[in-house]
Amino acid sequence: MRKVLAIAKWEYWEKVKTKTFLISLILTPAIIIGFSLAPTFLSGSGDSYTKAIGIIDTSGLFTNKIKNGLENIRLKNNQPSYILINLTEHGKDEDVLIRSANLSVIKGHLDGYLLINYGGSDSVSAKYYNKGSDNIKDISNFENVFNSAKLQIELSGINISPKILESLSRRGEIKTIKIEANGETSNNDFVTVFFTSFIFIILLMMMILSSGGMLIRNLVEEKSNRLIEILVSSCSPNQLLTGKVLGLSTLGLTQVIIWGIIGIVLEGISTIPSNAFNNIIPIAIYFVLGFIFYTAIFVGLGSVVTTEQEAQQITSYLSLTLILPIAISVPAMENPNSVFVHILSYIPFTIPSVMILRFNIESIPFPEILTSTLIMVVSIYIAIVGSSKIFKIGILSYGKRPSIRELINWLRE
Amino acid sequence: MLKVENLTKEFKGVTAVKDLSFAVAPGKIFGLLGPNGAGKTTTIRTVINVLKPTSGKIYFDDKPLTEKFYNLVGYLPEERGLYKKSKVWDVILYLAEIKGMAAKEAKSKAQEWLRVFEIENYRDKKIEELSKGNQQKVQFISSIIHDPGLLILDEPFSGFDPINQQFIKDLILSMAKSGKIIILSTHQMETAERLCTDILLINKGKEVCSGQLSDVKNKFGSNMIKVEYNGDGSFLNSLPEVKRIDNYSNYAEIQLEDNISPHVFLRKIVTGIDVKYFSVIEPSLNKIFIDLIQESSN
Repeated sequence: MRKVLAIAKWEYWEKVKTKTFLISLILTPAIIIGFSLAPTFLSGSGDSYTKAIGIIDTSGLFTNKIKNGLENIRLKNNQPSYILINLTEHGKDEDVLIRSANLSVIKGHLDGYLLINYGGSDSVSAKYYNKGSDNIKDISNFENVFNSAKLQIELSGINISPKILESLSRRGEIKTIKIEANGETSNNDFVTVFFTSFIFIILLMMMILSSGGMLIRNLVEEKSNRLIEILVSSCSPNQLLTGKVLGLSTLGLTQVIIWGIIGIVLEGISTIPSNAFNNIIPIAIYFVLGFIFYTAIFVGLGSVVTTEQEAQQITSYLSLTLILPIAISVPAMENPNSVFVHILSYIPFTIPSVMILRFNIESIPFPEILTSTLIMVVSIYIAIVGSSKIFKIGILSYGKRPSIRELINWLRE
Repeated sequence: MLKVENLTKEFKGVTAVKDLSFAVAPGKIFGLLGPNGAGKTTTIRTVINVLKPTSGKIYFDDKPLTEKFYNLVGYLPEERGLYKKSKVWDVILYLAEIKGMAAKEAKSKAQEWLRVFEIENYRDKKIEELSKGNQQKVQFISSIIHDPGLLILDEPFSGFDPINQQFIKDLILSMAKSGKIIILSTHQMETAERLCTDILLINKGKEVCSGQLSDVKNKFGSNMIKVEYNGDGSFLNSLPEVKRIDNYSNYAEIQLEDNISPHVFLRKIVTGIDVKYFSVIEPSLNKIFIDLIQESSN
């Protein structure tokens, strides 16, 4: 045990002291926070100039109403956000109007134009033509104005007070509130879920990749200068492997703690939504379990490679399994109860990230938490045993990388 | 006492070492010799418990190898290298600690050895900042700092200048004197000849010859002569009395057939060449090595 601790201590300190570690420690959260906040800032701040929007409305019913509606939408400097230009000319065919309007958009005279098709109150529709640089906010503004204009036209025969009309045309929003296991509630808007889940999954991924890469590079170094022979003539391969996994896991924990502190500080100055840390303890547990699991696998596979290039190849293969949960995160957020997401909650490679994601979306029943944690613990054990078998032979074999069949033989030994 | 009995090691059907037996007593320097690829490194790796033998037994002080054995071995591999980016002091302490040394003891020993090797000033430098010779010194210190009972040195002199080579030789001799078991693997036959008390010569994984160095020399060096001459000496090569010959343009080392006495042979050759110098010699280990390896390879 003393040797294991000596190895762990060495692996830990030699890496903590490196500049790479310090940089990744500070830079990683900075990049992630930058990435997560940038879209909010960009969409929140909106455009800074008035857009020229055309309208083709052969019925003539909508133009004024939409114009009035759009006039109320203002930029930050109180200038109108949009100027509506009527492109409808009586006696001209709609196709002709569209063609000339398209030309105006391409030439840059217009930012886009609305086309209203009115075939009686049962068939009203609108289209927005533009160069494709449409802002979600613009579209939603147009939708609101159009819907309210539509409502006004439909109700024009009936005598209704403008106040009721206004209230009718305002869209109601449904806010989602998540009930936590302890009975408390928390706001659970899309941005928060996205933000917190992504922060943790990306942090996990970056950490595994950076420390896994470090680990493999180290092993390659130890192999190429035969240090490994001195090491395994001093302690058993199992001690060496356990020491390395332990050292790196402690390193991972250090990172998590420091990032946690950064997070809490940022929460204090309200850069991060306050409820991002509601589930920090289970998230941290899955985080650490995932980290140990991947590290154990990295040690086993890392012992097989002999060159830096091969090391990079293996790192990139493994990173694919880490990226998968990010790829599925959007559908998972839309429907956390889907079978697919549930299956992924039982696969050791994806448990950590999927569970981190789910913790932010829903409250997970305790048996499920227990099962997935157990699966992780057992998988870590299997990964360490398997890796140590490969490790024992791998660290002393040079030259050609072993085939999958050889690896399986090593596992059987 | 280190005892190796009937050691065989196979890799994927290739036999690297076959049925090798030897024993090394404390205080002896044991030369493990052989050409490149003979199986020396495999033998060493099996002895230090890095590889498991396919068959055969290894005993240290009459006990099979256990985990405790790790702390008794000091190993200097042929290909050197340490953690380049780490500091000399840290690397020495780490390698001492995984040999089971307590931190305090390791520190005082490390300080002592750095002083003996005259590299105290480099203790806080990174390994990569050191010259090759000084890196070798650090590695040597790492292999002996825990005062191992069994020291295995693979080409210990490579990379050292003559002064440091002498220093290492003295160190090895003094360690042998203090009762350590030392296995020396080298291609420098001259060094082996001067240092080793016993040798084991292997080729293609098999023993070619073994025993005390003096016995080996007597066995293979009987009836050796050295001739310096003028004239065309090419006829010497085909004489029936000659068992082996190294013939140069005006100088030859000849091993005669066992029943031929040197003075009879001398009388025979003076008719063909002008003999300037003639003497009965003891063969060098180098000569024994080359002859035996060539013989066993054919």
